Amino acid sequence: MKRIEVKLSVDVVAPLLDVVRETADTLRDTVSPAVRTDDMDLEMREAWVEDLLAGQRSDLDVLLGLFGDEFFKDGSIVFDSENADAVLRASAAVRLHLRSHGLQGVDEEQLESGAVEIESLPEAARRPFVCYLFLATLQELIIQHLNPASPEI
Amino acid sequence: MILFEAKTQEQTQTDTLTEPKLEGLWKVVVLNDPVNLMSYVVMVFRKVFGFDETRARKHMMEVHERGRSVVWVGQREQAEAYAHTLQQWHLTTVLESDEAH
Repeated sequence: MKRIEVKLSVDVVAPLLDVVRETADTLRDTVSPAVRTDDMDLEMREAWVEDLLAGQRSDLDVLLGLFGDEFFKDGSIVFDSENADAVLRASAAVRLHLRSHGLQGVDEEQLESGAVEIESLPEAARRPFVCYLFLATLQELIIQHLNPASPEI
Repeated sequence: MILFEAKTQEQTQTDTLTEPKLEGLWKVVVLNDPVNLMSYVVMVFRKVFGFDETRARKHMMEVHERGRSVVWVGQREQAEAYAHTLQQWHLTTVLESDEAH
């Protein structure tokens, strides 16, 4: 099984995990902003959303599970073919939520390029912004090194 | 996002059960969002539809530059399945009826 081990700074990443956990708590009962079901009938909407939420909760558990005792011991996390998809999806869900909540005041182009002066952001948006970039970095690492693009259907 | 933008067509139960082709074709349309990475969107298209890199990238660029891309056309049930899968991957997706058919 292909795997990559990444060493992170616990001091830098630990505060970001608070943002991830808070967002994950919200996303346990809320589908990500990518999901809109306005025009579905009630029965279909309930089934559709419940299925998406179940998958989302499972994905978030996998993402948070990366940051257990091993991580706090030496800063290491491991990606492999077992957890890659879930981490990618959970990171996308958290980033989308951060974009529409903690970072809604940040210019879209700046956010897309990542070219934002942290000091120019309101205090409350700084940690969510760094978390937003951190999760994008995890996604890039997985996509570049584990090549998870093999067809699933 | 799933939006059933076409008018609902009245069909008899027989039509639904024995002649699914009368339901028409449905387009799976992915809409742009300012969050998901380009590499992520390409990866999802390759994974979900089995596109090669070139085709997946073409659809990603279409989403990025035009705001939307039709990534699949076919029967409604399969279109819904694709839309659901794309939403699991947090890509904003709508279904539209292909009224030209």
